[in-house]
Amino acid sequence: MDPATSTDIWSVAQSPLLWICALAVFGIICLQSWIYVRAAKRAGEGVGISRGDLNRAFRSGAVASVGPSLAVVLVAIALLTLFGTPAVLMRIGLVGSAATETASATIAADTMGASLGGPEWTQQVFVVAFFAMCLSGAAWMVITLLFTPLLKRGGNKLSRVNPAAMTIIPGAALLAAFMALTAMELPKSWIHVIAVLVSGAVMAVLMAIATKLNIGWLKEWALGLAIIVGLFVTYFVHHG
Amino acid sequence: MTTAPTADQAMQQFEHTTSRWGRLTMSAVLITSLAAPILLLILGDFGVTFNQLLTAYLAVAAVYLVLAIVEPITYFPILGQAAMYQAFMIGNIANKLLPAAIVAQNRVAVRPGSRQGDLVAVMAICGAAVVHVVSLLLFVGIFGTWLLSVVPEPVIEVAQLYILPSILGAVVVQALITVKQARSALFAAAASLFVVFALVPLVPAVGAFGVAIVVLLTILASWFLRNKAHDDRLNRPETPEAGQD
Repeated sequence: MDPATSTDIWSVAQSPLLWICALAVFGIICLQSWIYVRAAKRAGEGVGISRGDLNRAFRSGAVASVGPSLAVVLVAIALLTLFGTPAVLMRIGLVGSAATETASATIAADTMGASLGGPEWTQQVFVVAFFAMCLSGAAWMVITLLFTPLLKRGGNKLSRVNPAAMTIIPGAALLAAFMALTAMELPKSWIHVIAVLVSGAVMAVLMAIATKLNIGWLKEWALGLAIIVGLFVTYFVHHG
Repeated sequence: MTTAPTADQAMQQFEHTTSRWGRLTMSAVLITSLAAPILLLILGDFGVTFNQLLTAYLAVAAVYLVLAIVEPITYFPILGQAAMYQAFMIGNIANKLLPAAIVAQNRVAVRPGSRQGDLVAVMAICGAAVVHVVSLLLFVGIFGTWLLSVVPEPVIEVAQLYILPSILGAVVVQALITVKQARSALFAAAASLFVVFALVPLVPAVGAFGVAIVVLLTILASWFLRNKAHDDRLNRPETPEAGQD
């Protein structure tokens, strides 16, 4: 079949080659995590943090990401028919999000006069869009590889000039980034405002209970619970 | 004498290992993710021209290249060197990895940006990375098409629309509790409202820089308007910290 007219995306998108690349990427992510865990455990003693605390940190991170991960899964499966499984795994599993990748693919398809999933969404358009998405996503990694050593040197210099910088800047940047990202959600619709308020309120209540009664596991699961309640409420507001 | 390594030495070794292997693993992923479409194009016969590829890429880059440059710089002060190579490989930074790091720092009661805080963040991101990989392989890779057929359309629609605000509302609260910098929180809130509701509507072109501008404004305000009484306390004890690179 002519790739310029065939809309049978899956025969291309499910090719063993793409599966191998997707699995390789996931394998490298696991390898990196394993190396990092070992390095952190080796440094822990000297820095004055116990192995128990480090293991607790690993578990907390894993538990806290269950909610967000399941939410990402729900969004990712909606893209399966458009891109096939390995491409979705590679694009959502790596730097990028469902929104970014959908937008990128739409823009790329548009340059060929096609629309996402439309009758002109042919094998040819898919391959071009996939290429553009991968190359665009690569930019984040290239910039990180280039800039991180430079930024690290700058940070070292700053902390030598005034050690107080390192006690203020990371926390300030963290608060700023999340408040900015949250504020950007607010003008989108009043349901977005409700989602922010509900999930924030659930988190505040759960953290108050967890601190008062000293329930460790609740601090870990609070994020997942807040997301579920947030989506639950917005479901009824949106469809109700 | 074989004493336990000092904090400086331990941290230096950690930085050395993670920056070397971080760069290597990230480069490997970079190459693999580019090899996939390129091999597909070479091995299959799609009749695609170089011009089509270039045009499509440039159209996407016009929208996203600025973000690709701004985001790593914006997140560096939060993540630190080691976690940068994790975060910008795995992605999902604001909706998964950083929330995981904040939850863990809160759980273990360490301050973000401290050495203990950095190690805890890296461990938490490793935990999140494992869940990330397993959840995607299992629920998208293996059961994805089946899930798509059983999950009702309205549920997916709601998840698509409101996933981000539902995560962010909770994360902001957790960040406030964990970071404990009331002044910075006020500056961050003021800067966010100013940028989102005044600056961006007036000058839409700054949209891609929104988060970066808020981060920069908050850092500057927190720094110059800090409680300077703390400086002396911090500067006095042994501070040849990070003295050599």
